[in-house]
Amino acid sequence: MIKGFRYALNKFWPEALSGDLLILSLSIVLAVTSISSVSFLGDRLQTSMKLQASSILGADLVLRSASAIDPNYLELGVANNLDTAETITFLSMIITDEDNLLTSIKTTSESYPLKGELIIADFDGSLIQNSGSPPSGSVWIEPKIAETLSINNLTEISIGNKTFKVDGIIKDFPDRNSSFVGFYPIAIVNINDVSQMGVIQTGSRVIYRNMFSGSKRNLDNFVNDIGEIPADIRLQQADDVGDELGEALRESVTFFNLASLFTVIISVISAMMAVRRYASRNLLHASLMKVFGASKLFILGHQIMQLLLIIFFATLFGLLCGYALQSLIISALQGILTNELPAPSFKPIILGFITSIFVVLATASPYLKILSQTEPIRILRNDFSINISNNLIIYLVALVTMFIFLGILFQDIKLLSYILLVLIFVTAALFAIGKTLIYLLGSIKFSSGIGWKIGLKNIVNRGNESILQIIIFGLSLLFLIVLAETRTDLIDSWSETLEEDTPNYFLFNIQEYDLVNVTSYLLETANFSPSYTPLIRGRLLSAKRAGSDEFSSENLMEREANLTWQESLPKSNKISKGEWWNEESLEAEVSIDAEVADSMNLEIGDELLFSAGGSKFSATVTSFREIEWESFSPNFFFILSPSAGQKLPNSYITSIKISEQSDIMNLFTQRFPTITAVDLAAVIQQIRNTVSSASLAVQYIFLLTLIAGILALVASVFSNRDQRTKETAIMHAIGANRLIIFQSAAAEFFILGILSGFTAIIFAIVLSSIIFSQFLDLQYSPNLLILGLSFAIGVIFIFISGILSIRKTIYTSPIITLRDS
Amino acid sequence: MVFSFNDKLSEAFTVMKTESKIAENTPRHPLKDLILEVKNITKEVNSPEGLLTIVKDINLSVERGKPISLVGPSGSGKTTLLAIMAGLDIPTKGSVKLLGSNITLMNEDQRAQIRAKDVGFVFQSFHLMPRLSALDNVMLPLEIAGDPDAIEKSQIALDQVGLSSRAKNFATQLSGGEKQRVAIARAIVNKPKILFADEPTGNLDQKSSNAVTDLLFSINELINTTLVLVTHDLLLAEKCKDLYELSDGSLL
Repeated sequence: MIKGFRYALNKFWPEALSGDLLILSLSIVLAVTSISSVSFLGDRLQTSMKLQASSILGADLVLRSASAIDPNYLELGVANNLDTAETITFLSMIITDEDNLLTSIKTTSESYPLKGELIIADFDGSLIQNSGSPPSGSVWIEPKIAETLSINNLTEISIGNKTFKVDGIIKDFPDRNSSFVGFYPIAIVNINDVSQMGVIQTGSRVIYRNMFSGSKRNLDNFVNDIGEIPADIRLQQADDVGDELGEALRESVTFFNLASLFTVIISVISAMMAVRRYASRNLLHASLMKVFGASKLFILGHQIMQLLLIIFFATLFGLLCGYALQSLIISALQGILTNELPAPSFKPIILGFITSIFVVLATASPYLKILSQTEPIRILRNDFSINISNNLIIYLVALVTMFIFLGILFQDIKLLSYILLVLIFVTAALFAIGKTLIYLLGSIKFSSGIGWKIGLKNIVNRGNESILQIIIFGLSLLFLIVLAETRTDLIDSWSETLEEDTPNYFLFNIQEYDLVNVTSYLLETANFSPSYTPLIRGRLLSAKRAGSDEFSSENLMEREANLTWQESLPKSNKISKGEWWNEESLEAEVSIDAEVADSMNLEIGDELLFSAGGSKFSATVTSFREIEWESFSPNFFFILSPSAGQKLPNSYITSIKISEQSDIMNLFTQRFPTITAVDLAAVIQQIRNTVSSASLAVQYIFLLTLIAGILALVASVFSNRDQRTKETAIMHAIGANRLIIFQSAAAEFFILGILSGFTAIIFAIVLSSIIFSQFLDLQYSPNLLILGLSFAIGVIFIFISGILSIRKTIYTSPIITLRDS
Repeated sequence: MVFSFNDKLSEAFTVMKTESKIAENTPRHPLKDLILEVKNITKEVNSPEGLLTIVKDINLSVERGKPISLVGPSGSGKTTLLAIMAGLDIPTKGSVKLLGSNITLMNEDQRAQIRAKDVGFVFQSFHLMPRLSALDNVMLPLEIAGDPDAIEKSQIALDQVGLSSRAKNFATQLSGGEKQRVAIARAIVNKPKILFADEPTGNLDQKSSNAVTDLLFSINELINTTLVLVTHDLLLAEKCKDLYELSDGSLL
């Protein structure tokens, strides 16, 4: 075997550049390019998404509580080499000489924020600071406060017992959605001023946040060290804030994985075809070596070393191409990516090598046996054919190896099981269709059209070759169609998330007596008729499981609960468990956001005890809801039935859509000073950016899979090109003109394309519906345009590449073709 | 009057028999230096029509340095017999002693060792590696044997067949005659004790055929090898000391 290794090393470059190995190498290069670029891109985007998530938290990890947090946690963070920061947020009035405004006061330590960007400008708009906290005695305020209270630079304001000088305007800060105070304008003061303000009293609504950032390892160690935390402290990590980033990103990550998975499968298919061609062309070489005295081990050594060298060089080149490609994509996305992308990790490089090793193992290892055991007598018989039916085991081995690899790689057994099942069914169906076609064509007597007749007979004569080609065409098209449908529906569903009429303002604290005036004002100025939702301030005190006497307060204690009551289910809500109440029900019932219910271990039938408006009342949990938060309609974790909520004191909340350019809202706040208007423009823009970014990334990743699919189709068309070339030359030599040769090839590829395309579409509908319902939570309805276009493009592509594969032969003297072959 | 090729061949053989140039169907010189000894060789294969006998009960021997030829019509079993004698195939019955070793008792790798060291081959279809240069093709047997002087020896072999100037040319850039000369250089590069040639002029025009024939016999003498030739070419066959005729798998 060592001699074989040495021979392969000596001969590698001449052989690699000679053609046969080049095709296999290119196939691996493309497989690795696809995988690594998807992985590089996915890796960087996912890291970026985590950064965005961190930015939403303002840190990598946050401990949050309604009561003061033990300072030991911060010390433990420092001991674990983590950066730390602290915020305390509460509601208080900002008082000027002339006016006052309920504001969310955020007090921060010097190191705030640990992640994301704090942008403070002066009153002229020039940037003055981008981290930390104001000096003691100073305050930074949001523009809305300055506007409402007519505050200028260095105006003095009071918060509680302390007077502050305003010396900065908050342009942006990271943890905007971190608390209930998101609804109120923000003012930032130094954390050391908290005690002097004297506004935090027993029963005050306060949020304490200890923030930590550092390497994943240090964060893990920290989490281990803190052990079990008290029930009133919530631990939040960047990984947990997927919901806040929106469905778009979660779904795009699912799509990246799906695209990677399909790319691997398609790449294996194309490598399988390339290896098959390589093996059949190398049978002469192996047989000749046997004739000249090479042992089995020599040939095995030669082939193994050759493949190892191919793996090494092709993977390196593929990784370079993959990196270059993802850099191109990233640069295209740069305009909409909100933050600098981190450098890629080593993961894609390792993945690239593992991928090419498994692609080669899955596709080439069976042929190693055939090549090393070839009989030298083949040389005298001039027999260098590899019979598929004798080598079905080759494809079984390839399939099993591939799925073991994919299982390790993607760690999603459910998705793989579905795909494996569909693969088996599609292959069986395509095999049956191929057999039936060959039987039917074999029994039909053609009376006219010499070229077409020869083409159809060729399908019959090639037998298993034709069936294999139908299977490969069909599978490649299937995965491309499924991905095209998924891509289109995902992007459509994302764009629907933020429709043109998505509300851009929330109005709070609307009292009963304001309703008529607010409605008429909005109708007059903006031609907008708002619908109001009652808002009840309350607390969830405890829960009792049905059949049990004891109320449990774990995970629930002192939980703030913005409540409402509704007769019918809001539009952006969907019941996931239980039933919505009858409008006339007299029972006190409550419907809960499914995720909140899950985090609180609540079940249907549990009885919840609330306090609101100075009284306590209980309600039975009768349903869980999935809430579409991106609808920007007023949504609530807890909705009470009319009989439970109708009599409780409440204000109203509504969301409205007002043109950004108009000054309607300025005038509104002047006319209704007690009503809080929250501008959602920044949040909506953030979601729009996310959706555009995710959509573009999905488009590019789809493009990569498309290239892999095209490669598989081309590899399949070219897999028996030698045989076709020889046959074409013989036909040419015995008098067939170019038209007849063209017609015969056209007939053959047209029929193969039509059958595989048709079968691919049927199974694409099946696989898409599984993926939509099981992995993307989307409603699937076949996209006829995509299906029709995919079918037409697939058939035309197979047809054209088939014709191109023999084009040179048609225009070359047959004697030259035959001599060269 | 139309004669088929087989009729002409048969007629020619009859003439040759009368000139006492036909070898007998038995080892005639048991005490001489035999390089190849074939005893009671039969080869049967399975076919859709049932068991098919390709060669039947063949006995022949070849003396060192004395070229022999096997002639016979297509399908008579010539190539199968050559494959068995060269250790490329194994017989159903009988034994082959090549260079003193019973190769029918050996496994494939053991037979390969003998081929690597002492056997050369020339084929009708040349079987050059199309994407390798003439020199790389000639080097193949030496590289398999791990010979460190493969390049020098191969250049000498190419020189011997008059193609040193085409060493860098790829096989596809050579004419049919040149391809066969490269194939001969490859066959003799390891100085084989015995050289098997299967229809070496079968794919060549008359001029190239003559050149290859002259080359084969001059090489035979130059490197002192023993030529075993399977051919349709009567002129080529006549140049051998012994001539065996096969018909329907049996020696006549």
